[in-house]
Amino acid sequence: MKVLVAAALTLPLALLAGCDSPPTVSFEDASLTLPDDPNTLPEGPGRQAVMDNCLACHSPSTMLQQPRVPREKWEATVAKMVKLYKAPVDPAAIPQIVDYMVAVQARGVDVPRETSP
Amino acid sequence: MSGGRLSRRALIAGAGTAALAAPALAKLGGMIDLGLPGGPSLRPTTPDFPGKQGMIVQRIRPPLLEAPMAVFREGVITPNDRHFVRWNWPMPTEVKAADHRVAVGGAVKQPVSLTLDDIASAGEQVEIVAINQCAGNGRGLSEPRVTGTQWGNGAMACAKWTGVRLKDVLAKAGVAEGAKRVRLAGLDVPLTEGAPQFIKSIPLDIAMRDDVLVAWAMNDEPLPILHGFPLRIVVPGWFSTYWVKMLSTIEVLAGEDESHYVAETYRWPTVAVKPGDKDFPTVPITAMPPRSFITSHADGAVVRKGEPLTLEGIAMGGNAALAKVELVGAGSGGGEPVPCTLGPDDHGPYAFRRWSVTLPQVSGDLVEIGSKATNREGASQPDALVWNPSGYARNVIERITLRAQ
Repeated sequence: MKVLVAAALTLPLALLAGCDSPPTVSFEDASLTLPDDPNTLPEGPGRQAVMDNCLACHSPSTMLQQPRVPREKWEATVAKMVKLYKAPVDPAAIPQIVDYMVAVQARGVDVPRETSP
Repeated sequence: MSGGRLSRRALIAGAGTAALAAPALAKLGGMIDLGLPGGPSLRPTTPDFPGKQGMIVQRIRPPLLEAPMAVFREGVITPNDRHFVRWNWPMPTEVKAADHRVAVGGAVKQPVSLTLDDIASAGEQVEIVAINQCAGNGRGLSEPRVTGTQWGNGAMACAKWTGVRLKDVLAKAGVAEGAKRVRLAGLDVPLTEGAPQFIKSIPLDIAMRDDVLVAWAMNDEPLPILHGFPLRIVVPGWFSTYWVKMLSTIEVLAGEDESHYVAETYRWPTVAVKPGDKDFPTVPITAMPPRSFITSHADGAVVRKGEPLTLEGIAMGGNAALAKVELVGAGSGGGEPVPCTLGPDDHGPYAFRRWSVTLPQVSGDLVEIGSKATNREGASQPDALVWNPSGYARNVIERITLRAQ
């Protein structure tokens, strides 16, 4: 990213510039390349349903880092995604999503990596 | 609160085992253990994000990056490459400066669309040092655990912000009679049609404060995209949920704000609650309470028996200047608090300050010691967690145990 804020922002120069010349700021374009998520979902029944319905918004890491909660909480969470955040979740997939998250949490899986460091 | 007290006792009982098995700062092969009770607790420090180094990666997209607590061992200004990152929705990864506009509308005399140069020349250039802290900082340490981003305590940072006053930008449009709030929106938008945009509003009297800024620089560098290029709101003393990034819309409201992120979330109970409680009254989470941390020693560290011991850390007053920091022992039987020496007040009431205290002689294990900050309004860190279902505004005394050998 290349952006220049005029040197007047640094204190010594701002003092030298005096009070009657207002500090100038110039803005340049900015861009950023985000890394890809190296994390993957562990194997298990329902994995495909989670990949099809959840991955668009949630990194695997986010899903796998949640504290262990009961099935009802996962059901409520999926329902909230659909109702509040308008997630296009296939209703038939919801039980599979919930089963998968409950099973993965019960196994106590830490975030697996595609490649070893 | 009863739930908090119970879990606190459980924590003390387990101090000799669980707490020592998971030192909060342990680095394990590129992973950091946040010490989250019950886990999962390990977080990667990869992949790398541009302009960042060694950050705990809580989420890739939209990014959630946390600073390891080691960042806070020295100084009070957090370097930009260690400043935590939090986005609710995906943000654009490219912004053309010349094309960017800030629309100022709603209950105003004359709606305007401002360029970046218009903003920069809207008024006097102002610098302020202020702590930026996520309302959910420390959520992952809640007991009982709650869902949401599982932050340790590193979703906080202190920076020097440069910009113009929000009130000077508002003056470009002229606030109309009867205005009540100022709502702020950025370029980050929901992935799904119909989902609520991340927009936040602050009361008009807060918006008109002399220290509430539309900022374009942090620590004398242009705001990086991850921190809201080209402009973000700065509300010193308030949680960062109001510090809207990539500012593109300022909307003056004549009434209350019924939008999701004000009316339905980022709220916490006005009464004591326990897990499972429903339909309790809530208010928006706004001003920050005082917090402090021991940064010189990790939980479980070994200290020399019979020797003097110096402990150091950082503290913040929150929405008011820091008044004092004390070292406290475990529970109510922890003995008299020990006053700590505050470092210089170089950066004003909204910045971190360092503190230190020297104990003349270590006579045995220091079990569940913690630092307790109090601000000039008399607000102090509580001994027990004020548990709430979203894990907001954690400011319980953070404790460690040191083993004497």
